[in-house]
Amino acid sequence: MKIVIDYDRCEGNAVCERVCPEVFQVKEDDRAHLRIENPGPELRAKVEAAVRRCPRQALSLAD
Amino acid sequence: MDAQSTATQHTAAGPDFNLLSPDTYVPGVPHEAFRTLRNTAPVSWQKDPESPGFWAITKHADVVTISRDPKTFSSHRRTAMLMELPPDSLAETQLFMINADPPRHTKLRALVNKGFTPRMVARLEPHVRDIANAVIDAVAQKGECDFVTEVAAELPLQVIAEMMGVPLADRRALFSWSNRMIGQDDPEYGTTEDEAKRASLEVYMYANQLAAERRRNPGEDLMSVLLNAEVDGEKLTEMEFDVFFVLLMIAGNETTRNLISGGMLALIDHPEQRARLLKDRSLINTAVDEMLRWVSPVMAFRRTATRDTEIRGQKIREGDKVLMFYPSANRDEEVFPEADRFDVGRTPNDHLAFGIGEHFCLGSNLARLEIRVMFEELLRRLPDIELAGPVARLRSNFINGIKHMPVKFTPKAA
Repeated sequence: MKIVIDYDRCEGNAVCERVCPEVFQVKEDDRAHLRIENPGPELRAKVEAAVRRCPRQALSLAD
Repeated sequence: MDAQSTATQHTAAGPDFNLLSPDTYVPGVPHEAFRTLRNTAPVSWQKDPESPGFWAITKHADVVTISRDPKTFSSHRRTAMLMELPPDSLAETQLFMINADPPRHTKLRALVNKGFTPRMVARLEPHVRDIANAVIDAVAQKGECDFVTEVAAELPLQVIAEMMGVPLADRRALFSWSNRMIGQDDPEYGTTEDEAKRASLEVYMYANQLAAERRRNPGEDLMSVLLNAEVDGEKLTEMEFDVFFVLLMIAGNETTRNLISGGMLALIDHPEQRARLLKDRSLINTAVDEMLRWVSPVMAFRRTATRDTEIRGQKIREGDKVLMFYPSANRDEEVFPEADRFDVGRTPNDHLAFGIGEHFCLGSNLARLEIRVMFEELLRRLPDIELAGPVARLRSNFINGIKHMPVKFTPKAA
């Protein structure tokens, strides 16, 4: 599962981190980052929820 | 011609529930009406005393679609506010960030965004906890209080006043202005448009005094940041600064207060859920989200269609007024199983209490922090709060508010 973060849109609202802390983390630069590059299928539902709920549509799935 | 033809074209409307009348909301949010609309007329044409009418958007998915498409559904054209504005106040109201569209909105938001990032907010936690405990200290020994004015209002008021650099001594004035501006439909706070106008003039004068003071003695607060900020190479005008002050004051105040009051009432009304949370405090984060879903402190925002379009197959004409009803979206059976059940462990919980899209609540992380800390301390120190009298609701079509809520509890040492 490949996740793309659009840094032109991300403003660090941290919704992704709350929905799926296993994968997303908002760091010191106030932007979301990936803790793991290619999360396994067991996390797909949570990652999809994070993508869906990102208020700025900064997240997408490349596959 | 537009008004007439639009009205005619829209007669295929659903049942009318007087959704714009503040009286409709006095007994409580009309959840039955919203359910009927979701099931029978999810995009329905409703009566408006001030305009040809409006589209009532009641489904979660449609609120998301509209919120994510500011090009088609503008916050600026007729503002995000529910009621029609006379031409002289339209221009002033359009200055508010909440009533801006991209790209201007994006630039304005970037000015204040840094003050509300998760990192900034996390730093505030110890201080927020101190304030929450001081608030509880002030009532703990009495064994009774007005939960709204003595508990729920105090924390957000003190936090936002500090963030904006407003001296503590002036926070009562903030409380009063905020009530009078947001509560202009409620006889307790003000009965006329003139009074609301007077309140806003007082606030603007106060904001200008504060600006003068901050120019002499700049601080780390948001107002100092805004005074030095530039949009497209230009500083904010006095009016732009004033409306920012009002927006942050109201948004940081009314919403969180009513969430804390409404959340407390939900726990009182659902003793088994409170017991569950008392037993397992690790549920606090899902409980906060469930309170947000349940209360939906902001009940509606407006958009105006910038072109002919469709929602759920319903034709929408350019210029049409579109109102998104968050309490309805947050009880949408298609998204929330057993939507009318208050469940402190609900997961997932895709509620829209903070909105979504460009205008997603700027202060969501701060609000979450305040709500979580307040309830952690309330559950720890006053776990048996019960109602001691009738709950007085705010007469408003905009804010799901409680003005007074007499409660009693086992007295505790401060």
